[in-house]
Amino acid sequence: MNTATGTSSPSNDDRQSPNDDDQNGTYECNICLETANDPVVSMCGHLFCWSCLHQWLETRPNRQTCPVCKAGISKDKVIPIYGRGNPNPQDPREKLPPRPAGQRSEPETSNPFQNFGFGGDGNFQFSFGIGAFPFGMFASTFNLNDGRPGPPLPNSPQQAEEQFLSKSAWGPADGIWHVAAFIVERHWTGGKSIFQ
Amino acid sequence: MTSMEKRLQKELQAMTKDPPAGVSVNTNSLSSSLSEWIVDIEGAPSTLYEGERFQLGFKFTSRYPFDSPQVMFIGPNIPVHPHVYSNGHICLSILTEDWSPALSVQSVCLSIVSMLSSCKEKKLPPDNAIYVRTCSKDPKKTRWWYHDNSV
Ligand SMILES: [Zn+2]
Ligand SMILES: [Zn+2]
Repeated sequence: MNTATGTSSPSNDDRQSPNDDDQNGTYECNICLETANDPVVSMCGHLFCWSCLHQWLETRPNRQTCPVCKAGISKDKVIPIYGRGNPNPQDPREKLPPRPAGQRSEPETSNPFQNFGFGGDGNFQFSFGIGAFPFGMFASTFNLNDGRPGPPLPNSPQQAEEQFLSKSAWGPADGIWHVAAFIVERHWTGGKSIFQ
Repeated sequence: MTSMEKRLQKELQAMTKDPPAGVSVNTNSLSSSLSEWIVDIEGAPSTLYEGERFQLGFKFTSRYPFDSPQVMFIGPNIPVHPHVYSNGHICLSILTEDWSPALSVQSVCLSIVSMLSSCKEKKLPPDNAIYVRTCSKDPKKTRWWYHDNSV
């Protein structure tokens, strides 16, 4: 990985320059960690820059919760805070917050899983209909082959990108149920993750 | 400096100045944009992982902290744990759908240490074999279903 050379990294001294204006953190935005700019406070008492909170609310429009405590939150339920020194303060919520480049580039596709409790940022395609097998079928197939290079999955050609749903359910061995199911996006591309 | 870099600088500053127990940022691993970190963590005392050392790899997009970081175990020692796949992927809801921009590298590390600490039996996830064979390299591409937060 290109990060271990040390020569291209800023020195530690650069990183540790203290930020004197917000030493104790009381008025730091809970998102950017800077002193809140155009501050708003939620009903649950958590402080944010309006632009930071606005960006978060747009990130998850269908599940607007306080980043700190997960209480419900919305544009209409935050209170702008006006300090001394500005005789005609403007409600920050009336301003269109600057949006970072690229934020709107992802299409807001409607996610068929939203009703199932998925986060739904629209990056994934799902296909039902193939491969919704009970875990046990896969388990027996695969355990036989453990330790050896696996054969192609049953009834799935080695398509470059194919998704299927696999579920597993077990328990309650310890008095708990654990159902871990995952939807796998198959990428048979070469190369390694930088972390491997 | 982008907002992502600013925020990560702040986090780095806090974590190097006042590191939480058992968690230390590997500062040699940091890229200049701070978009990749390696964090060394230690199994907590009096737990199944006491004395073991692990490495977590973090990758951040420019949309951090609105986008969750990609977090996985890397390196030679991957903990054997019911929520940790042998390829390092971690089944932990705060890494995907329960992510919040008020979370941080530090809080993620502490959650993972705590997840290890509460483990009662070292065992792989039951679906490990099929998962590691079929998953994307990016654990964020897995749609996890979280039904059990007790381990
Ligand atoms: Zn902010
Ligand atoms: Zn709150």
